[in-house]
Amino acid sequence: MVKRAVAIFVSLVLGASFCFVFWVVASHDYNWSAIAPYWRNFLSGWWMTLMISAAALVASVLVGAILTGGQLSPYRIPRILSRAFVEIIRGTPLLTQILIGFYLVAPAIGWDSRFGVGLLVLACFSGAYLAEIFRGGVESIPQSQWLSAKAIGFTGAQTYRFVVIPQAIRRVLPASAGQFANLIKDSSLLFVISVHEFTMQAREVNANTYATFEAYLPLIFGYFILTFPISLLSRSLEKRFSYEH
Amino acid sequence: MSIEAKALSRFYGSTRAVDGVSLSLSDDVQVLALIGPSGGGKSTFLRLLGGLEAPTSGSLCIDGENLSTDELLLREWRKKNGFLFQSFNLFPHLSARENIVLPLVEVHDWLRSDAEQRADEVIDRFGLSAHSKKQPGQLSGGQQQRIALARAIAHEPRWLLLDEPTSALDPEMKAEVLDLIQELCESGQKIVLSTHEMGFARGAADHVVFLAQGQKVEEGDAEALFAGAETGEVRNFLAKVMKW
Ligand SMILES: Nc1ncnc2c1ncn2[C@@H]1O[C@H](COP(=O)(O)OP(=O)(O)OP(=O)(O)O)[C@@H](O)[C@H]1O
Ligand SMILES: [Mg+2]
Repeated sequence: MVKRAVAIFVSLVLGASFCFVFWVVASHDYNWSAIAPYWRNFLSGWWMTLMISAAALVASVLVGAILTGGQLSPYRIPRILSRAFVEIIRGTPLLTQILIGFYLVAPAIGWDSRFGVGLLVLACFSGAYLAEIFRGGVESIPQSQWLSAKAIGFTGAQTYRFVVIPQAIRRVLPASAGQFANLIKDSSLLFVISVHEFTMQAREVNANTYATFEAYLPLIFGYFILTFPISLLSRSLEKRFSYEH
Repeated sequence: MSIEAKALSRFYGSTRAVDGVSLSLSDDVQVLALIGPSGGGKSTFLRLLGGLEAPTSGSLCIDGENLSTDELLLREWRKKNGFLFQSFNLFPHLSARENIVLPLVEVHDWLRSDAEQRADEVIDRFGLSAHSKKQPGQLSGGQQQRIALARAIAHEPRWLLLDEPTSALDPEMKAEVLDLIQELCESGQKIVLSTHEMGFARGAADHVVFLAQGQKVEEGDAEALFAGAETGEVRNFLAKVMKW
């Protein structure tokens, strides 16, 4: 009875809000012709966002895995260093990290690729969040599984490969997918080092046309078609790696 | 198996889980039972025998081989054992069959086809063929323990180490697992087990060691010890646990 009432209430509230927002947005009087000449800018910005996010996503998984390994290491030094890295990266603004990375650190080693530095900073930022997710996943595997693996004669590496990681993957998938979506949206901050990604292009179109909504509305669709497939993929992978407890 | 333990100890901080246990068993002992009160050190002693942890002090020698503290050698030691815990032995993400195949392939370097054949053989022997494709979560507790037992013997270990293999099970499932262990005993498998099933220990074991507070209180031939223990502590314990 209560369950039913909650279900009806939630459906009504969500349904009504959704319709209302959609109606308000759709009934606005747009002047699409103002931004039409700039479609190439949108497309190239979207493409840049796709490329840099995809590369940073792969790199962030690597960074996350390394930091997880460091934090779970039996040795003190890598543990402390990884912990410090994760805490600092997670506790400071991405914007500042990008600025420091491009204007202070990169020149010091003679590197001036906006794309490269942007990618690396994004990967480190997102990797620090992934590291926490991964560590939680590994630590959620019960002690009995480690002991069982040890009794069988597995090495530490085999225990991770055959016992811990396959079980942890399913548990970290939803949170990781969320982090990947964040990474894609966070890439918009690369405007501070003039990487011409999607949001930066929209900004420029806005500056040229003063058609604010028309310039920014395409971002909704552009980002959603990047993030939604990740969500779908995560769900299907969750099913694939599922098992009964 | 011959077991030679000299003042074997394992401490956890100030807890003396196993505290100077010496034991000398000849090859005639095929089935050894560890009994005693909860917290007496049975599980810890089994983990030491199995090379799952290194002793704090003392020495252990099985069939003429000394237990080392080197991790590589310890792993070689573990590979020769078959270990079974109270519960949660199996890997939940793998099928029953794969649980048996994987260690054979990855730890014992068998060919996959040989390992699969061997897995089917032990599963069949334990009457579990209908369940070989299921994951542990789809099996009853008793079936899980039987699969875990199948995995523990698949590589023909020199001995089986069983830590209260039935204490997490319902009475009916207990019986099906105990039957299987009994059958293994009869087939000549060497076994060390800790158990609270006194009837089973009495029937199946040759030799019994009573551990309390990490120390060996008494040991002896199973039949003799159950018929009349020398120490009051063991007599009291047996009287208490056999009462029901
Ligand atoms: N990993 C550990 N860390 C700290 N203390 C431990 C650990 N393992 C065992 N102990 C302690 O050592 C003592 C012996 O424990 P053990 O599990 O060997 O007893 P047991 O005879 O198997 O008991 P039970 O019949 O309840 O299984 C207990 O006091 C226990 O709390
Ligand atoms: Mg125990």
